[in-house]
Amino acid sequence: MEDRPPQEAELVARAKRGELDAYEEIVRLHQRIAFRTAWVITRSSADAEEAAQDGFVKAHAALPRFREGSPFRPWLLAIVANEARNRVRGTGRRTRLTRRVAEERRPDDAVPSPEAALLDSEQRHELLAAIERLPDPAREAIACRYLLELSEEETAAALDCPRGTVKSRLSRALERLRLELGEAEA
Amino acid sequence: MSDLERRLTRLARELDWPETPDLAPAVRQCIALPAPRRRRRPLVLRRSLAIALASLLVLAGGVFAAVPDVRDAVLEFLGLQGATVERRPDIPSAPELRVLQLGQRTTLERARGELGFTPLVPRTAGRPDGVFLSAVPPGGEVSLTYEPGPGLPSTGSAGLGLLVSEFRGDLAPEYMGKIAGETTRIERLRVEGERAIWIEGAPHLFFYRPPDSDFAESDLRLADNVLLLERGNLLVRLEGAFTRERAVELARSLR
Repeated sequence: MEDRPPQEAELVARAKRGELDAYEEIVRLHQRIAFRTAWVITRSSADAEEAAQDGFVKAHAALPRFREGSPFRPWLLAIVANEARNRVRGTGRRTRLTRRVAEERRPDDAVPSPEAALLDSEQRHELLAAIERLPDPAREAIACRYLLELSEEETAAALDCPRGTVKSRLSRALERLRLELGEAEA
Repeated sequence: MSDLERRLTRLARELDWPETPDLAPAVRQCIALPAPRRRRRPLVLRRSLAIALASLLVLAGGVFAAVPDVRDAVLEFLGLQGATVERRPDIPSAPELRVLQLGQRTTLERARGELGFTPLVPRTAGRPDGVFLSAVPPGGEVSLTYEPGPGLPSTGSAGLGLLVSEFRGDLAPEYMGKIAGETTRIERLRVEGERAIWIEGAPHLFFYRPPDSDFAESDLRLADNVLLLERGNLLVRLEGAFTRERAVELARSLR
């Protein structure tokens, strides 16, 4: 999750008044989650970069319509995800998530607590392969909610569907994953 | 939270996500650019208007202005996002050789930071010999030049093996123009599912319509074979003395 300092509302208010420096700061605050959300949809770094960039540009143009006081990130992610979907167009670009798994533990995770224990290599690949086999809507729901760690509201915004649909998709996707992993309850 | 959900959350921390680019400079550049000038009429009306105006001028026996929109009847009109192609019975004269005005020389890395989009490179041609940046269209334009080599014969007009130009077609709907005569081959096709136009043989002309000024006669130059294609919101132009098949191969390798 990205840090969202308390001054975000102030930055948005300043950006609405036309302060480019304030909007640039907003971009830097959210660019990682925006890029990754676009990547989950496009599976292409170049497309994700363009989608995120154009999303930020369009969000800036739409700032006068943004209701101050409401959460900015779901609103932004909805715009970015829409840009990403426009780029997919069935071009068959499908970088597999499995390629993106770090083979080695990261140095800062070298001594994990039991709670944050890393998955072993076999578990990782089994889990990722099972995610890959999910239909697009289910896979995107899992990726947004668990891999990007978006809230339900943010997942709903990114997937352009109601929160209830997110819940039902996640429930079905988890059930399907359990089946794939041979963990379904009898 | 179930055990599976916990494992998914742990997995999130082990994923090697692609590196997030710093988007702030490009976003700021796009926002700071003036809004693209709105077209006064839709494309289809533009063509009708050109034909109607040309007819009126012929009837009146007037002296035609040096603007291709109204100088001749348009026999065929094709459009992509960012480019127009017109077939005319006669094409204006233009110099055969012209020093290419491609903008400031730069590097791919610098261009990437300064453009409002990610430049694409034809991987089968390798790294370009020259990279040039122009700020004329909204979002900028990048041109990649390649010296002649295997599969890239020298062009007659500029002595290059390949010239690639890219700009945001969605921000500059009619920035690039082509005028072709009756014997020029013009073919619509799809490359990687996206719209493209192949223009081959017989002299045809190339010009720009800068956003804040009208087309000028001096902008005209003779062009070699050209593949124009849409790639997302970009308009890409590949020019060279190569075949259609080679042009499509180059276009498919754009990354």
